[in-house]
Amino acid sequence: MTLVGRYRLEWILIVILVTGFACLMFAVMNSALYGGGGYMEMVGLGVMALMLALVFTQWSHRRSMQRTLNYIQMQLEQLGQDKPSGRVLVDTAENSEIAGPLVQSLGLISKQLEELRQANHSLNINCQIADAQRRQIEQILLSVSDAVVVTSRFDELTFANESAERLLGFNLSNARRKNIDEIIHDGAIVRLIQDTRRMGVNHQPRIVEHSCNNGREACTFRIMLRCLAGPNKTTAGVMIVLHDMTREKEIEQGKIEFVSNVSHELKTPLASIKAYIEMLLDGEVDDPKSTREFYETISSEAERLHRMIERILSISRIESNSDKVVLEPVSMTAVIKQVLKIIAPKAKSKEICISEHLAPVYFQVNADYDLICQAVQNLMVNAIKYTPAGGNITVDVAADERRGVLSVEVSDTGVGIPADELSKIFEKFYRGRSHRAMATGSGLGLPLVQYIVETIHGGKMSVTSEADKGSTFSFELPLVA
Amino acid sequence: MEKKLKKILVVDDEPCILHILALKLRNAGYTVITAADGEEGLELSLSEGPDLIIADYQMPYMDGLQLCSEHRRRGGMPVPAMLITARDFDIDDKMAEKSGISVVLAKPFSPQQVVEIAQDLMSEHHYGGNVLAGVKCNNEK
Repeated sequence: MTLVGRYRLEWILIVILVTGFACLMFAVMNSALYGGGGYMEMVGLGVMALMLALVFTQWSHRRSMQRTLNYIQMQLEQLGQDKPSGRVLVDTAENSEIAGPLVQSLGLISKQLEELRQANHSLNINCQIADAQRRQIEQILLSVSDAVVVTSRFDELTFANESAERLLGFNLSNARRKNIDEIIHDGAIVRLIQDTRRMGVNHQPRIVEHSCNNGREACTFRIMLRCLAGPNKTTAGVMIVLHDMTREKEIEQGKIEFVSNVSHELKTPLASIKAYIEMLLDGEVDDPKSTREFYETISSEAERLHRMIERILSISRIESNSDKVVLEPVSMTAVIKQVLKIIAPKAKSKEICISEHLAPVYFQVNADYDLICQAVQNLMVNAIKYTPAGGNITVDVAADERRGVLSVEVSDTGVGIPADELSKIFEKFYRGRSHRAMATGSGLGLPLVQYIVETIHGGKMSVTSEADKGSTFSFELPLVA
Repeated sequence: MEKKLKKILVVDDEPCILHILALKLRNAGYTVITAADGEEGLELSLSEGPDLIIADYQMPYMDGLQLCSEHRRRGGMPVPAMLITARDFDIDDKMAEKSGISVVLAKPFSPQQVVEIAQDLMSEHHYGGNVLAGVKCNNEK
């Protein structure tokens, strides 16, 4: 069928040609041999057959060419589109011997194009992955709290995160591609970056602790500098990570001071106890009255030491459990009345008059009853300690509904606090110098009050004082709506 | 007999320490004058001309180091001085020497040790020619 189909046109052509020639031959033979008529008709028929053969040949050739061109066009169209084209190429090759080599070449090109398409597709996917990873890393760098800066091998700024902008005081949109000495004002950091870049990629990352004065306050940074490697181990730039250690240093310093203060405060009564015992053992006192005084002093100093340790433990306990405190509506008027009952005997023994102006009990604050009692008691005990006999103490509890706060105020007519000591009285272990002899103390009472009021209850503590006239300690807590 | 003439100024804001040191030194035969803070101590050191100053480091108004350096700055006799402190780690030797401190004694201390050091400081060896021995921290007892 294929053979017939393939050669059908050729057969038709041969039949027409043979018919044409037969007609011509018949006309010639008939005329020459028999001188018969019909010569012209037969010649005409033969010529017509030959002309028909010619036209048919032309038409067949043209048709074949057209089909080949159509296949090639179709193939090219498919090449232009993103479609597999192997099946069409095979058909095309079978259909046209003329276009065969061309179609084969096109097949190769198509195959190569297909491979290129696949490679391009993989490349696109890889590019998208790389781009997503780059954006992710950039987002991470932008969101880290440490300042991250990247410079080029020409010491130009190429990347900085928000922390770096804030810390080093520049705006990345204006600073990108500018030299670091134009945008980083701390000369020491600029020199560190330049030195790291000069040292090259073979050096280990550098870690440097750097202190500077950031406008208002001293800051300490731990700076990590790493040279970034380019192709063939060349220097591509420098990455700088600045970790702000100011707060860590403050905490560290605070701990050192705390230990120093604790040891000092504990050693003082211990020194007295040790000295008094040694005196007794050495027989430096022999009369019973002095001996008894010595024992009493040892006892009171031991008691002082005990109180101090209790205070330290109490602060430590409250600070470590502050997140477990449950605040409930409490009437401060009830709290004050409770505290007044406890401290009344002390006040009476010093002939100190306590007057009170208390808000109605329905004004309540969210508080831990025991802790807020402790805070008020500390304030009242201090007032009694530093008020000479015959003085006055006033306790006020007032509700300010407009501001939504309840204020508690403890005023005394005591010795007061000098202006230069006011800012220090809430520091742990600080004891006012001027009237230290008036009373014993650990220097932990007021820090505890401040911690209870501000950290645990979210209130605000304040103090006003005038030397020799008295002090007023007050705090405010949010009213329960 | 000679040591009874020696006068020692003891300055401490802790009444117990002041009391015990005064008693121990008096029992050892010295004349003792006392002050409860740095300023009062400075006044006494300048007016009374003691042979030795024993001062607490941390005191109201003026600490022991300031007291000793002020004593010298205001023309007081360059007498030896002993600093008693619970913060011995806070005190730099050079700073102490500059203030005229001969010995830094850490709390808690032995009263007998104080007497021995006082005796030593007021001997010819230390007290002779205005040149004080280097600061020594004495708390081995």
